[in-house]
Amino acid sequence: MEGLSGREEAVRRAVMEICEGKLGKAAVKLDGTGSVIAVRPAKNPALPRVMLAAHMDEVGLLVLSATEEGLLRFTGSGGIDPRVLISKRVKVGYGEDGIPGVIGSPPIHLQSGDDGNTAPKIENLSINIGAKDKAEAESKAPIGTPVTFATPYTPFGDGYVCAKALDDRVGVYNLLRLLDAPYDGELTLAFTSQEEVGLRGAMAAGFIVQPDIGIALEGTTANDLGETPDALKVCEPGKGPCVSFMDNSSMADRGLFRLMLEAGKAEGIDHQIKKFIAGGNDAGAIQRAGAGAKVVVLSVPCRNIHSPSSVCCLRDVDNQYLLAQATLARLMKG
Amino acid sequence: MDILSFLRESTGRFGPVGHEQAIAQWLKERFAPLCDEVFIDAMSNVIAVQKPTAPSAGKPPVVMLCAHMDEIALMVTAILEDGSLRIRQVGGVDPAILPASTVTVHTDTGELFGVIGAKPPHLLSAEDRKHNVKFEDLYVDLGLSPEAAAQRVHVGDLVTMQGEPLELLNGKVASKTLDDRSCIAAMLLAAERLQKLSHTAQVVFCCSVQEEVGGYGARVAAYTAAPDIGFILDVTHAAYPGAKPDTTVPPDAPAATMGPFIQTKLMERLKNVAKENGIKMNVELAGRNTYTDTDDIQIARGGIPCVLVGVPLNYMHTTVELGDVNAVAETGRLAAAFAAAVEEGWDTDLWI
Repeated sequence: MEGLSGREEAVRRAVMEICEGKLGKAAVKLDGTGSVIAVRPAKNPALPRVMLAAHMDEVGLLVLSATEEGLLRFTGSGGIDPRVLISKRVKVGYGEDGIPGVIGSPPIHLQSGDDGNTAPKIENLSINIGAKDKAEAESKAPIGTPVTFATPYTPFGDGYVCAKALDDRVGVYNLLRLLDAPYDGELTLAFTSQEEVGLRGAMAAGFIVQPDIGIALEGTTANDLGETPDALKVCEPGKGPCVSFMDNSSMADRGLFRLMLEAGKAEGIDHQIKKFIAGGNDAGAIQRAGAGAKVVVLSVPCRNIHSPSSVCCLRDVDNQYLLAQATLARLMKG
Repeated sequence: MDILSFLRESTGRFGPVGHEQAIAQWLKERFAPLCDEVFIDAMSNVIAVQKPTAPSAGKPPVVMLCAHMDEIALMVTAILEDGSLRIRQVGGVDPAILPASTVTVHTDTGELFGVIGAKPPHLLSAEDRKHNVKFEDLYVDLGLSPEAAAQRVHVGDLVTMQGEPLELLNGKVASKTLDDRSCIAAMLLAAERLQKLSHTAQVVFCCSVQEEVGGYGARVAAYTAAPDIGFILDVTHAAYPGAKPDTTVPPDAPAATMGPFIQTKLMERLKNVAKENGIKMNVELAGRNTYTDTDDIQIARGGIPCVLVGVPLNYMHTTVELGDVNAVAETGRLAAAFAAAVEEGWDTDLWI
C-alpha cells in the first residue's frame, strides 16, 4: 500500500474501515491534516487519558519534471540518502494507476575520474519509465506524482522481513491490534499523517486530543551489522522493541520511561533501550501540543530504514504490541 | 520465441563467471531442438551447430555466432561475528548500486535471501554523504543469528543480485543480466530463423563462459568451432543525458562496432545486409579493444575475421539494465540474415 506524506489516502481508507468496524462510525474522526483519530471513551474517568500514535506515511519520492528524453526528475519526500536509490525499482503513481520505473546510474564502464567515489546528488538521478519523450513522460507522471519503492514484502532468515515502509506500518499494524486493548481510561488511537516531513499530523492530532500521556509506536534506526562499534549501533533487531529516553524531537517522561521498562521486565517481554540520540517522531509533537503531555516512544528496530529495503524482526513487532499493552495495564493499576 | 518470456526464464538463472554449468545445461536444451548437434565443452561453453541447408562445391564456410551466458556477481569474503557477510565483486560490479539491494547467497545447503545494508540517513556524517560506498563498508544481512550464519555460509560462496524483468512503456524492459542474456535471446531467434532460411554456411551458435573477466571461454570455443567468420553479439551502452559524446548509441536499434578489431569488408557486408533487410542499425567505433568476446575470437587459431553487433542497454552492470525488446528482435534478425548471406567465395578480396 502506498502512502507518502500528505498522500496517505489509501492507508487512511484502510485504517478508517478497520477502526469504524471495531468502534463504530461515531468514534472515528479526521483532523485537519488527515490523521485518523479513534477515541474509546473512559469507563473510569479517574485514569489518565492516553493517546497512542503511529504514523501512516512513508518516505518516497515526488516527480518534479520530465527531461527531453522522457526521464523523470524527482525530489525526496522525507529523509532519503540518494545513495540507496541507484539500481532500484519504483512504482510511479498509486494503486492500479501506478506504473513501474527504475532508477539507474551511468554504467561503471563509462564513469571517469572521481565519479565512482562521489555520492550521487538527487538532482542528477532520474526515473526511467520507458517514455519516448517529454510529452509522454509528463502525461504518465505529471509534477507531484508520488513515487514509492517497489520492494516485495519478503520474509527471510530467522523471523525477519524485508520491505519498504516498515517505518511506520509496524506501528500502524500494532495500533490496529490495540483497538481492543484492555484499558478503562479514555484511550485515543491516532493514525497520524505527515510524520516524515516534520511531525505535522501529530501536532494537530495532539492538539485535538490533549492527552495526559502520549505513546508513539514507531520504527527506528538500527545500525547493528557490519562490525559497527557498539556505541553506534543504536539498537539491535531481534532483541525487542526500543524504549527511548530521548531523541531529536522529545524527552521521555522519566516516570513513564521507568514504568514501561518495569512492565517489560515484569511480563518477560523482550525490550531494549535505544542507545543513540537520533531521529525524531510524533512524540515530540504530542509532548508540546496544547498544554503538554508526558510522552515515551516504543519503536521496532529497523535496519536500512528510509531505504527501499528496510528490515525488521517480526518478534520485535509482536513484542511492541505486548509491551504497549502491558504498559496500559500498569497505567490502569496506577 | 517470445523474448520477454525467455528473459523472465533466463535472467534469474545462476551463472556467475566460472560457474556456468547449470545455465549451460539449460541453454543446451533451448538450442537442441533448433540445431543438428549441440554439446558442452570442457569450459562449459555451449556449442550448437546447424549444418548447411544449401549445397556448396567445397568445404562450406563456418560462421560462429557468439554471446556470453555468464553474469557479474559477488562472493562472500568473510563471515563477521555479528552474522553479516563481507562481499567482493566477481566481474565489474559497481558498489554504488548495492546499498539496500536484495541478493541471493548460494550455499552448499541451498539459497539464502539477503539484504545489503545501508547506513541510515539519520546517522550519516557530512563526510559520509559526499562519498560513494566501498566494498569494505558493505555487508549482507541474512536475518540469521551469528551461529546460524557461520554454519550455513562459507567464504567463497557466490552471491547473485536480484532483479526480475520489469516491463516498462514502449517495449522497454529493465532487468538484471540483460548483459548478455538479451543477446542469447537474439541468438535463439537467429537459430529459429535460420531453420527456415536456405544457408550455405555451417552456423555455430556459442554461449560462451567467462566473458566478464575477459573472453576466456570464447577463445576456447573458437578453437573448437574453427569458424571462418565470427559474429559476436554483446550489449553496448545506450544514450543517456550527460553521457560523454560518442560513448553511446541510440537505444532502439542494434549497433555494430567498427574499428581495428573488426574486419573492414565484413563490416561493409553487415551494413549491406541490414539495408537489404530493412533493419535499422547504428554504428559505433572502438579505437582498439571492444571489451567483448570479439577481442579473443579475432585472434583465436590463425585469426578469425569478426563483426560485432550490440543490443544497447542503459545502466549496464546494474540490476535495472534497461533494453528495448524490439532491438533484441532486430539483432536476431540481423544475425540470421548475415549468416544466411555467407556463400562460397565470401572471402574474395577480403583483405585488398
